[in-house]
Amino acid sequence: MNLHLTLDMPSHPCFLSVVRSAVGELSGICDLSTEECTAVTLAVDEALANIIRHAYKGRYDKKIKFDCLVDEEQMVFTLLDQGEPPDMRNICAESADELALSGRGTHLIKAIMDEVSYKRVSEGNQLTLIKRLPSFRTRANS
Amino acid sequence: MLRHLEVTTRIERDTVIVDVTGQIDLGTSPALRKTLLDSLNQTKRLAINLTAVTYIDSSGIASMLEALREASRTEARIILFGLNGSVLQVLQLTRLTGVFEIRETEALALEA
Repeated sequence: MNLHLTLDMPSHPCFLSVVRSAVGELSGICDLSTEECTAVTLAVDEALANIIRHAYKGRYDKKIKFDCLVDEEQMVFTLLDQGEPPDMRNICAESADELALSGRGTHLIKAIMDEVSYKRVSEGNQLTLIKRLPSFRTRANS
Repeated sequence: MLRHLEVTTRIERDTVIVDVTGQIDLGTSPALRKTLLDSLNQTKRLAINLTAVTYIDSSGIASMLEALREASRTEARIILFGLNGSVLQVLQLTRLTGVFEIRETEALALEA
């Protein structure tokens, strides 16, 4: 199965539930378990929330390009924004304090996804999240 | 599925119960945070009913953690109950199941 889903969305939190619905449904179609569907949905949601909160400093009138490419091996989510580039020193920098009020999103993303990469491209900040699919994991391990 | 969030409070015995319904995310967690912190001004026992919560992200977790910090400062107590699978999973992913007091039902939360 090959599927390509793109969405140009405003940086408003009210659209997060739209993306969550799509990602959750797609994850289920891709044979991820219920727990994995929840986790992948959470990871994508946290990444979008970080863009709104940090890259766009809470501004709701900016643009985010959401792109999801699914093939038989993996789900590849690419998020593009034109906000402030992430400060790599702050990514996963607050793990020591279990009661910290911020910084959990990036830890969740890294724990859930198989690959996470940040890249500065000509169009802005590009975050890529990859989740390997069960059928591919089975073949890779056999 | 309810896409927005409803947060209401009621009093049972000596406990303020915060009933939360819907999805807790970046857009809706400020309302939860405000209700939790406001409620802590009225009680030493706060129970958060998460039975009807269908989604929670790290901002929702942070709101409950902030309330827990405030409760610790004022010597109040916070108990979570009615956690469904996805909410419990997020708490497990954030390794916070041991930080919060968790009970299965409202009756058990009131007895705690």
